[in-house]
Amino acid sequence: MVDVDVDVLVVGAGPSGLYGAYYAGFRGLTTAILDALPEPGGQVTALYPEKMIFDIAGFPAVRGKDLVQNLVAQVAPFHPHYLLGEQAVAYAQTEGGVVITTASGKTVAAKAVIVTGGIGTFNPRPLPGGAEWEGRGLEYIVPTYLPYAGKDVVIVGGGDSAVDWALGLEGVAESVTLLHRRDEFRAHAHSVKLLKDSSVEVVTSVQPVSINGEKRLESITVRHVKTKETRDLPCQAIVAALGFTADISPLEAWGLDVHERHILVDTTMATNLPRVFAAGDITDYPGKVRLISVGFGEAATAVNNAATVIDPQATIFPGHSTEGAPA
Amino acid sequence: MTYVITSSCVDIKDMSCIEECPVDCIYEGERKLYIHPKECIDCGACEPVCPVDAIYPDRTLPADKLDDKEDNRVFFYLPLPGRDEPLSSPGGSMKTGPLEADTERTAALPPNPDAD
Repeated sequence: MVDVDVDVLVVGAGPSGLYGAYYAGFRGLTTAILDALPEPGGQVTALYPEKMIFDIAGFPAVRGKDLVQNLVAQVAPFHPHYLLGEQAVAYAQTEGGVVITTASGKTVAAKAVIVTGGIGTFNPRPLPGGAEWEGRGLEYIVPTYLPYAGKDVVIVGGGDSAVDWALGLEGVAESVTLLHRRDEFRAHAHSVKLLKDSSVEVVTSVQPVSINGEKRLESITVRHVKTKETRDLPCQAIVAALGFTADISPLEAWGLDVHERHILVDTTMATNLPRVFAAGDITDYPGKVRLISVGFGEAATAVNNAATVIDPQATIFPGHSTEGAPA
Repeated sequence: MTYVITSSCVDIKDMSCIEECPVDCIYEGERKLYIHPKECIDCGACEPVCPVDAIYPDRTLPADKLDDKEDNRVFFYLPLPGRDEPLSSPGGSMKTGPLEADTERTAALPPNPDAD
């Protein structure tokens, strides 16, 4: 028994993946969209939601998050099954299809897979020396504030996540201390002003040196970057908000032909694995141009070629979208 | 296409860019930071966070900073002083840690008056 059974599984919910899912829906194929991040939009959502994009055909200018919203709306009539916060870690061939397993143990059966993984799966940047404290008081994301009630919390970082979480935990936690290596914060000016007016203790120009404790963490030692003085801050929870890095190795583990962080494809966007296609920034071939507009085209090529693998009677050409509004 | 860290970074090494880089392609030398020209995905996340405006896309690099582009390449593709092999493409600065060396050109630069 599998958890999800669809015609097409799209791995990566960035622009190319969302558009590929639209095309699969347009062809009458049932679709699931999987992504490691909790929201659709991939790099656009994670790295530049507020930036204006000027090279989307037909849109003289469109804000990143608006483009994502429109792509989500475009695929919505086909009711794709979203699997967000999931990482596709294993690939297995079955009779007439494949089964993909996620890091949390979910299984997805599909007749074809379109990998639109961009630069790879996003993971929180680890706190140096933090590995042994994970699950013992050190966390990298704060999905809910309640577990921090009554605790002394130390947050490390200077970006939006660090400042937003510090403000969100104020009033829930016993105390909140925000540590940052510099004097200036990269978070939005408005959030930084709220921070200054809050009860959050802000300690700048320090770097964590060590985490201390027995079973669970009890304090963090920090060093001033200039004076080199160290001090101990007692705490029961540490949140490291140091940004994200992208990793393509979960896809390499499928057995995909990966060269310098990219998947090699042919002119149909087929990869070396049966029933697995790829599109968007993650693909490579002679003459490749890494732009969203190219990713859209590759997604359409990948899905329409996958359609003929799913049903050998199907044609590559999908028909024109003007011939009918989505059901 | 790639981003380039210019000599304004020398003796500053603020490191904010390293926290922003989603592919971990910014490496720490002894006096400055260097962007790997092949590992960089051109996302631009590093540029606005640099407190000394040291980072530029290579295609809009001011004429007086063109040498910095070559310097970023040399850091990875020629052996650093004291090493036999070039770094080549390590696949992430978390793997290498600080490299405690610079290109010959960067090592020979005068002290940065903007550094404290």
